Amino acid sequence: MRKILYALVILTLFSCEEVVDVELETSAPRLVVEASLLFNADTESDLQIIKLSTTAPYFEEEIPAVSGAMVKVTTGSGEEYIFKETGGGIYENSEIVAKPDVNYQLEIVYENELYTATAQFTSTPKLQFVEQDLGGFSGDEYEFKIFYEDPEETENFYLFRYLNDQVYLQIYTDEFTNGNQTFAFFNDEDASPGDLVQFEIQGISEGFYEYLFILRSQSGDNNGGPFQTQPSIVRGNIVNQTNPDNFPFGYFRLSEVNILNYEVE
Amino acid sequence: MKKIILFCILLSFVKLEAQESFVINGIIKDAQNNETLLGVNIIFPELQTGTVTNEYGFYSVKVPAGSHRMEVSYLGYESISQNVEVQKNLNLDFQLNPAAQALEEVVVVDDSERLNIRQPEMSVNKLEISTIQKLPVVFGEVDVIKSLLLLPGVSNAGEASSGFNVRGGAADQNLILLDEATIYNASHLFGLFSVFNPDAIKNLKLYKGGIPANYGGRVSSVLDIYQKDGNSREFEANGGIGLISSRLLAQGPISKGKSSFLIGGRSSYAHLFLKLTDNENSAYFYDLNTKLTFRLDSRNTLLFSGYFGRDVFRITESFNNVYGNSVFNLRWNNVLKENIFSNMSVIYSDYYYGLTLDFVGFNWNSGIKNVNFKYDLDHYLNRKLNLDYGLHTTWHEFNPGEIEPNSDSSGIIPGQLIKKFALESAIYVSLEHSLSDKLYAEYGIRYSSFLRMGQEELNLYSEEPVIYNQRFGIYEKADPVAVKNLDKSQIERSFGNLEPRFALAYAFNDDQSVKLSYNRMTQYLHLITNTSSPTPLDVWAPSGTYIEPQKLDQVAIGYYRSFLDQDFSIEVEGYFKTLSNRLDYIDGANLIANDAIEQVILTGEARAYGAELLLKKNKGRFTGWFAYTLSRSEQRTPGRTSQEPGINNSQWYATAYDKPHDLSFTASYELNKKWDLNANFVFQTGLPTTYPGGQYRFENMIIPVYSARNSNRLPDYHRLDISATYTPSKNRKSNYRSSWNFGIYNVYARKNAVSLSFRQNQETSRNEAVRLSLFGIVPSVTYNFKF
Repeated sequence: MRKILYALVILTLFSCEEVVDVELETSAPRLVVEASLLFNADTESDLQIIKLSTTAPYFEEEIPAVSGAMVKVTTGSGEEYIFKETGGGIYENSEIVAKPDVNYQLEIVYENELYTATAQFTSTPKLQFVEQDLGGFSGDEYEFKIFYEDPEETENFYLFRYLNDQVYLQIYTDEFTNGNQTFAFFNDEDASPGDLVQFEIQGISEGFYEYLFILRSQSGDNNGGPFQTQPSIVRGNIVNQTNPDNFPFGYFRLSEVNILNYEVE
Repeated sequence: MKKIILFCILLSFVKLEAQESFVINGIIKDAQNNETLLGVNIIFPELQTGTVTNEYGFYSVKVPAGSHRMEVSYLGYESISQNVEVQKNLNLDFQLNPAAQALEEVVVVDDSERLNIRQPEMSVNKLEISTIQKLPVVFGEVDVIKSLLLLPGVSNAGEASSGFNVRGGAADQNLILLDEATIYNASHLFGLFSVFNPDAIKNLKLYKGGIPANYGGRVSSVLDIYQKDGNSREFEANGGIGLISSRLLAQGPISKGKSSFLIGGRSSYAHLFLKLTDNENSAYFYDLNTKLTFRLDSRNTLLFSGYFGRDVFRITESFNNVYGNSVFNLRWNNVLKENIFSNMSVIYSDYYYGLTLDFVGFNWNSGIKNVNFKYDLDHYLNRKLNLDYGLHTTWHEFNPGEIEPNSDSSGIIPGQLIKKFALESAIYVSLEHSLSDKLYAEYGIRYSSFLRMGQEELNLYSEEPVIYNQRFGIYEKADPVAVKNLDKSQIERSFGNLEPRFALAYAFNDDQSVKLSYNRMTQYLHLITNTSSPTPLDVWAPSGTYIEPQKLDQVAIGYYRSFLDQDFSIEVEGYFKTLSNRLDYIDGANLIANDAIEQVILTGEARAYGAELLLKKNKGRFTGWFAYTLSRSEQRTPGRTSQEPGINNSQWYATAYDKPHDLSFTASYELNKKWDLNANFVFQTGLPTTYPGGQYRFENMIIPVYSARNSNRLPDYHRLDISATYTPSKNRKSNYRSSWNFGIYNVYARKNAVSLSFRQNQETSRNEAVRLSLFGIVPSVTYNFKF
């Protein structure tokens, strides 16, 4: 919402944006874990990926990949899934299955430090249909409403992704829509009729919702400007057991994902 | 109880005065339009005594029997000097002629500066509306608040920020009064313009320190604005046509000399900004000022005033946003006795914020309403003592938001965020005391009480509403263990605070004085915002179970001197402020539509200190001032236990509006009778900001890694503006007068940074730092007329 206000102020004024050189100090690198295990009942592949990287100086183009880490996921009932390194910071496993109400523990050993996190599987409803419209500030942006049925008995949080040339994210809670048919909203000024696009719904935990909420406020166009929120360090659910001060960034989660492919009209 | 005793003591030693003396009182007005004049000096030079008219033009002074010379003087007006024979109580009304009518010839030396030297009042910024109207401003839109920024101790959080910051205080800590009614959002178009129509304003005063006991409820400053009463002699109209908005103001008698009306309107041009003629986008604002004044008899006056303003934004059908203030107020001035003036005000004030977001599928309505009753008395006891006392009470109603679906397909469940209620009251006594002919004092005390009334579903927690998660190193919401429902007629929590105020002036002579002041202020309302400048949708939260009132102590000292026959004056002040219970927000706090704000706030403290210099040239063809402020404004939110890091690792950090150096130079030169030239230059330290120390990638997003809060700064801000006013010779046959104002804002087109943002370039995918600057060079022209 603040972004809209901000856009309004900018658009309504004789404003001017310019790329400038700024000298930045660089903070010490930290481990970044992207352990989003996504499960879709409709697909054949069971391949799960965990990405490990480190932080880099802000203007650096390459994000350093992490190699040589030991990565595994275990459950309380003794199952153990080793993730094999395949290069470029990618660690893979195809055996892992998601069951509700099971605690999954992630363990990473990197540079002799042990990082751990626990998470449970979060399910999600299916996507129903898409409504398409033209709108936006200039009236020629494609707007999509993707409908779904929110389950009434639970408090739900969702991550939506819209994939065209780029990937767009939206997060929703059912605080004001519990138990109703409702929609996620995306707009894309670069879309054109005939584009094959993909919509995704993922069930996420409240913790991950809050994490993404902060993360999104810190990234991209949301930072800076008269309506900016205070920049902050955003910490996820992964803990460095060996040296807590050297905390990592990122998140470990297990989510159900449902997909809807759509051709832009 | 203590206050009653104090009051009795004061009254009793007043009686000791034995000499036979009489009261002279009256009202002082402008001879042309019958507007009452406030702040007019009434001096009895031989008696070394005098007084000043109050907000309603009333004065009362006690003098011994006999024949005395009496001088009435006011800046910009011809002075009156006459002998009065005092053998009984006298009622003397005066009418002053504006000095411009005085055909080159200076009648009497202006004494207004002289008396200020002796008044304990300090840390006050005053600007004449006529000065404000000449200052160069962006788009030529005359702006009261933007003009105040040119004076020391006042700044804002960037060019497009709403509100203003006084002596390192936050924008929500300013009490803004329009005809005694509180204004909650003082800006149009997210801060580009202020809501005050300059044509309708009679007088304004900004108290930065030494705040008298009759003001309360906000800790940082008081901006007290009075609207004109309306011309009760003859009909007159004036207006202006500018680039952004046009204004029209009409005033005149209802019954000649007795009652008058004033109505003024202002509106921006709806489609000007957007230049998109083929769709329904619009962004505009308008406001309406009204006033009715009825002088019932020499002792009674009724004043009715109203303000209504709205901002409207519309983007096709998907986004519709309306917000604004409405204020209605009825006042009754009554001269109870020849030396007691009273004013009773009943005020209704309402701030509304409405939003329709089609892409989320809802309508949103929120607002604040309050009903305010004030009874203030000015009691002129004798030559040495003036007493002010009164009672204020306000019923607050906060509607944080009501949500409803805007269409059948929206899926939004109608809901009402929990409404909150409070009753805020205060009694005060303030005494102005001439201790000797060199030493003047003003002491006062205000007792404020705040009753937070019951609400539905108040969350209860087993411990604190915010808990520290040691494992992840973050602050988190606690889960409520129960909820409590309490009717709004019952008290949830009550607060009471004594707020002492004190000011002392020592005059070495007529041209030189030193002053000292102390004030304690309590603020029970908090603006919930984690942006650097307030936005219209920010909500106010009353103190209650989980939020403590903000308390501020300020000490200020100053040195004042006028020299070269009062051609020049210099004011130097230093201040130190400490504030407790300043709210801060945990990382990532979501404040919008949050029914449990207590789960995302932590309590911290703030401090500000600085030195201010104001050098003014008051007379002649060349006038102007140089203002410089050296200051710091910082805040800190330590952890509640030694295990917790607090915010920013418990370190002090610069507030979002901390500007160590703030310099401005304003000059006005009267070239000839037709041309007036004006210029101002400002230089300010860049605002605090936070640069990233690194980056990482997560879910296809580039996430900057930030370090300590506000540890970096934007580039320094500076700008030069010029303007010229052309007033054609008056046509002898008609009353029509006009003037043109030509301005250039930001003459050398400096690209001042409003913000630096760090983001990924969409095309090259490389990270870059982007400077946003709002205004390049902006020329403007405004046509003003009067008839």
